[in-house]
Amino acid sequence: MPNNYFNTLPLREQLEQLAKCRFMDISEFPDGVEALKGKKIVVIGCGAQGLAQGMNLRDSGCDVSYTLRAAAIAEKRQSWKSATENGFVVGTYEELIPTADVVLNLTPDKQHTPVVTAVMPLMKQGACLSYSHGFNIVEEGMKIREDLTVIMVAPKCPGSEVRNEYVRGFGVPTLIAVHEDNDPQGEGLALAKAYAVGTGGHKAGVLMSSFIAEVKSDLMGEQTILCGMLQTGSLLCFDKMVEEGIDAGYASKLIQFGWETVTEALKYGGVTNMLDRLSNPAKIKAFDLSEELKLIMRPLYNKHQDDIINGTFSRTMMADWANDDVNLLGWRAETAETAFEKTPAGDVEISEQEYFDNGILMVAMVKAGVELAFETMTAAGIIADSAYYESLHETPLIANTIARKKLYEMNATISDTAEYGCYLYNHACLPLLADFMKDIKTDVIGKGLDLEDTGVDNARLIEVNAALRAHPVEAIGTTLRGHMADMKKIV
Amino acid sequence: MNIRLDNLTVNFDDRFQLEEVNWQLDDSQHWVVTGANGSGKSALAAVLASAGENLSGSIDGIPAKVGLVSFEAQAELIEAELKKDDADIMDVIAEGTPVHEILNPGDSNQQLIDELVEKFQLQALVNRAFRKLSTGESRKVMLIRALASEPDLLVLDEPFDGLDAHTLEMLQAYLATLVEMVPMVMVLNRFDEFPDFITHIAYVDNGRLQHRIDRNDTKAYNELYQLLHLKTTDLAVPAADPETAIPKLDPTQPLVKLNSVNITYDGHRIIDSLDWTIERNQHWQLSGPNGSGKTGLLSLITGDHPQCYVNDIFVFGFQRGSGESIWQIKQFIGYVSTALQWEYKVGTGLRNVIISGFYDSIGLYTKATDRQKKIADEWLALLGMSDRADTPFNKLSYGDQRLLLIARAMVKHPPLLILDEPCLGLDDMNRQLVLALIEKICAGSETSVLYVNHHPEDQIKGIENYLALEKREPDNS
Repeated sequence: MPNNYFNTLPLREQLEQLAKCRFMDISEFPDGVEALKGKKIVVIGCGAQGLAQGMNLRDSGCDVSYTLRAAAIAEKRQSWKSATENGFVVGTYEELIPTADVVLNLTPDKQHTPVVTAVMPLMKQGACLSYSHGFNIVEEGMKIREDLTVIMVAPKCPGSEVRNEYVRGFGVPTLIAVHEDNDPQGEGLALAKAYAVGTGGHKAGVLMSSFIAEVKSDLMGEQTILCGMLQTGSLLCFDKMVEEGIDAGYASKLIQFGWETVTEALKYGGVTNMLDRLSNPAKIKAFDLSEELKLIMRPLYNKHQDDIINGTFSRTMMADWANDDVNLLGWRAETAETAFEKTPAGDVEISEQEYFDNGILMVAMVKAGVELAFETMTAAGIIADSAYYESLHETPLIANTIARKKLYEMNATISDTAEYGCYLYNHACLPLLADFMKDIKTDVIGKGLDLEDTGVDNARLIEVNAALRAHPVEAIGTTLRGHMADMKKIV
Repeated sequence: MNIRLDNLTVNFDDRFQLEEVNWQLDDSQHWVVTGANGSGKSALAAVLASAGENLSGSIDGIPAKVGLVSFEAQAELIEAELKKDDADIMDVIAEGTPVHEILNPGDSNQQLIDELVEKFQLQALVNRAFRKLSTGESRKVMLIRALASEPDLLVLDEPFDGLDAHTLEMLQAYLATLVEMVPMVMVLNRFDEFPDFITHIAYVDNGRLQHRIDRNDTKAYNELYQLLHLKTTDLAVPAADPETAIPKLDPTQPLVKLNSVNITYDGHRIIDSLDWTIERNQHWQLSGPNGSGKTGLLSLITGDHPQCYVNDIFVFGFQRGSGESIWQIKQFIGYVSTALQWEYKVGTGLRNVIISGFYDSIGLYTKATDRQKKIADEWLALLGMSDRADTPFNKLSYGDQRLLLIARAMVKHPPLLILDEPCLGLDDMNRQLVLALIEKICAGSETSVLYVNHHPEDQIKGIENYLALEKREPDNS
């Protein structure tokens, strides 16, 4: 039975690890890829992320090859083809791992335990093992040989973007961490920084965090606001509109593209800006709805965070892994059968502003979800910077996937771990909001407020604006968006 | 009046030839004929006054009375006056023909002549000998003579040249009063001198009438402006930025040396055991049908092809796969292709697009220095786009985007400039714009040009090395 690493730590250290997250300045990367020069990098797995990172590293002057399971090579599977056609040396674990100075484990979470168990005995004395997600170390308690250095380098984008942005001469925001229990030569940070440079991440911004902060905040964000809230919100809003007689095609389109549109405003100017896009009466309405939603949903957010922190979540999910993913596959099929998923977006014109005006409830749901996730994470000891990235910052990225191909695309793009958590949230949240939804009418979802007079009470408006701007997610957001703007494209 | 030139080829004393001109002018139109020096614009105008020897084709509808003002006509008249002097057998000092006789060869409207003399302020000169006038004065005489002849067609070749500001303004105003009475054809090469009443523009290049443009066609009009700007302004290619200078290359080594390289997709070999060396200062043309691997071969050089790591490639002092980064390779290369243009889908302003050439990036992710901004502005001036420095790149026409990407590729003065079908997808006007810019670049720098195309008419002067690829049929190798 695996041993949850986080639970073995004393509280003092748990809090210290959770609080790690710092935005690094580009001036902290003067050595470029030097720390990786002359070292042999072997990548395990050649999916989208593995291929993109390997190509970037090679184009940055690093020596990269791929190792795959013997069966993948013998059967010339897609991963073998991808690596070979791109001119990489491909070999079995036995052939390549013993020659490697740095091993990049870029396989899915689920395979980490068998993969790491298989490669660890083959690794050179004093070599480095790198992850792009800390689940295996933190939740499964994988023990890595003491002489090995363990780091994490996690580009915060899908593989295709990791490659495209590099080719353009830029990169994608990247999180790095060193597993302090496994840094025998004190070279972990230098290696992680060089790796981030090799994939172009330093140009777009690097966050220095810890394995624990990465795992606990990542799990919380993806289950609740990022995927869970958007899935639950999609299903509830669609059913309500159809029930109220709104054309199903219109309802489907308003939701599919509405998340993307309203969260785009979030990306530029936080929750404040998203609500500022509404008329004064609509803003007050959205604010009131979100307050009500927060009250109803707070226990659910707390439960998710508690289950993540104490390991209940990972334990139940791993039990499903062991049970051939019965739950995951069942829930996935169930999502495909929902009315929202099965109704194609109608051929109707919806202007950018109309997504706000007719989607007041969606705006309220995003606000409630972002604020609750942020509040819950920081209350659990996760530093505001991490909490911001794992809630507000990533919401527009996930909303983009829904715009592409609805919930199917979202769940196909995110990891199995995120998908599993998303369904858990959805199953709990749907009944939780049943009563709340009874009072919802088309004025807040589908048609917009029908007012003769758009006047509002001054005192109330001032109160709402002040409350929006005073939320802690807005303060940290303003600072971090400032850093990002400095790094981002000068356009 | 309806003048019609059909497939007309005209010879001018074996010095110059106008080729296969097709042109139609009717009497409600006023044309400007324009083009670079030596393009044949004056010759074309002179054809309307029956100059030159028709070799083939036809010209119809030339009216009886054509008023012509040109340097050639002026020179001829002056030469004739000087000959009179020589022919004078009387032992008196010849004064030559007085201006008033030149002004009115016989049947002109004397009242109109007097009016014009006053307008041109030539009253004091009417009794002076024509050959004693200054060039500017004799030009004015020519103008008055042509205007007062009450012609059916007025052909004015650079009528504003050498006129003082006051006279120029007067003449323009006067010509404007004639628009209802006589159709005009003017040879001009400065856009800002085109009078408002001009309805059409003819563009001549290399003895051919290349474009006939309706002035109301704003798009074509603007493109012509740029073309003329590139062809006629004497701007040099802006200098490189000394602060981001490209490292010096070993002069004894070739720029590129491909040793028996292969490119294989799905087991099918596109490029098979090819050797290719590009020495410094060589210009190359690479050609071959679609699918023959042209772009693949280029991307082995630029480092964009993943199989560059499994081939024996030496570029700019680096043996590929020896620990160099692609940015170390790319700094020596300027690159333009249709694919790059598709990739370059950014809202970056034009100035920053040019500056991105210093960093080989798509979009600009670094703060530019003042010097880089200045260099970019010089390029914008060269392209005639100074007023659009902050316009988003994606708002530009396709042809303008291409021009800008060539400037981006050249901004750092790379040792190798790769132009992968730079004219692909461009209309005729834009094609000529692009070629004009490339010629300007080739003429003035130490850059080796590697030019890929399969249109024989898109030749670039100065290319002397050729590599032709053939399409390989799928085989079992």
